[in-house]
Amino acid sequence: MSRRPFFRRPKSCPFSGDNAPKIDYKNVKLLQRFTSERGKIVPSRITAVSAKKQRELSTAIKRARNLALMPFLIN
Amino acid sequence: MPLYESVYIARPDISSTQVEALTADMTKIVEDNGGKVTKEEYWGLKSLAYRIKKNRKGHYSLLNIDAPPAALTEMERNMRIHEDILRYMSIRVDEHEEGPSAMMQSKSSRDDRDRDRDRGRGRDDDSGPKNTASPVPAAVPAPASAAAAAEVPAEPVISDDAPASDSKDTEE
Repeated sequence: MSRRPFFRRPKSCPFSGDNAPKIDYKNVKLLQRFTSERGKIVPSRITAVSAKKQRELSTAIKRARNLALMPFLIN
Repeated sequence: MPLYESVYIARPDISSTQVEALTADMTKIVEDNGGKVTKEEYWGLKSLAYRIKKNRKGHYSLLNIDAPPAALTEMERNMRIHEDILRYMSIRVDEHEEGPSAMMQSKSSRDDRDRDRDRGRGRDDDSGPKNTASPVPAAVPAPASAAAAAEVPAEPVISDDAPASDSKDTEE
């Protein structure tokens, strides 16, 4: 009848599948989509990134931060 | 020999020719130690995300290096000593990427907005079928959709779509 409550359609990882973007610390535009307004890394349960790719992503973001391409924090 | 990517940030008050000279120096150090630099990129004077040694900007350069570890440590030692270098980072990679890196691509095209628009279009495509379905409840008077909205109070994200499909279900 009516829609199941709390139903969420399955999300897929943005980094798997064909022509998925490659995680790279130099690609700041891409990485910025996975950080919050304050510069924090967004948890994978929200962005639907797979666990393996999330690990890759977090190292890439940290590398970009080290090179001052991305901020550690935004006030 | 292992492959490395090395990025360094130089002080903003030196000229870009000096940065090139600096890159040449580093290349020479690598080559003297039996390695070679396969690609160099100059990203230009970019603003830093935070201040490093009181500087707000810096010259970024990337080197793709194929060299024994000793050569890299020697180069890093020189970078540490050099006063014009604010920061450097060398990482080992499995393979060098061909062509210009992501940084150069975004710089040359300047299509940030274009890419964002593409992203937006992609999302629209995701919710496309639902959008085409929405005209149906629009013809149905308001109470039906209001009741449906009362049934499904939660989930603000998909609330736009939820009443549409619900009202259709109640019709059938």
